[in-house]
Amino acid sequence: MQERKPKNIFVQGPIAASFIADSIRKHSSKTGIGGHSIFLGQVRADIIDDKKVLSIGYTAYEEMALEKMHTIREDIFARYPLTCMHVYHSLGKIAAGEICLFVFTSSAHRKAAIDACEETVERLKAELPIWGKEFFEDETYQWKENK
Amino acid sequence: MLNQSMQVNVIIFGQLTDITGSSAITITDVPDTDQLVRQLQAQYPGLASFPYLIAVEKEIVSGNTILENNYTVALLPPYAGG
Repeated sequence: MQERKPKNIFVQGPIAASFIADSIRKHSSKTGIGGHSIFLGQVRADIIDDKKVLSIGYTAYEEMALEKMHTIREDIFARYPLTCMHVYHSLGKIAAGEICLFVFTSSAHRKAAIDACEETVERLKAELPIWGKEFFEDETYQWKENK
Repeated sequence: MLNQSMQVNVIIFGQLTDITGSSAITITDVPDTDQLVRQLQAQYPGLASFPYLIAVEKEIVSGNTILENNYTVALLPPYAGG
């Protein structure tokens, strides 16, 4: 199997719609692809004890997260016939409504792209050392918990 | 130096930083993770009531693990990425 080097997945600030559009556009030359699957994580304005979440501040143990993501990527490529996979996660303060996670998988036929995308999202939520601080309107905060 | 001490770099993440007030601490002369945790909990009693995993040199460990000079130990509360 082809050896893949660890890639950086972290982006400072929100992931722009134009960045996602460019990423899709770049695949037009890869004509062996027949299906893409995209997952976008968006910061939700949760109401917790009558207070609304305005933004989430993301931090990570970056070195460990990149090594872990590399392992996940290798596992997914070993299990599914993917053409490519791209993962981006925000760091820093991301406002409600903005995109903080972008997972993009492509394959010749749809099933592999869809299943690989879902599995990658589930695994990265469970395995990457990333934390989120939810900031409320009154400037108080609480630490986010993944459900 | 004759009497060289051993040091371990402890890095702290997420809600645990609210307890320690710092995201990096240097601890000297702890031979293993059990003793490191004991020393950290003596210094920051609040740590005992929070769940967290321990990574030694970026690998999560379970059970007591021997530490070497200049090792990095990370305290990882539950993840919240995505």
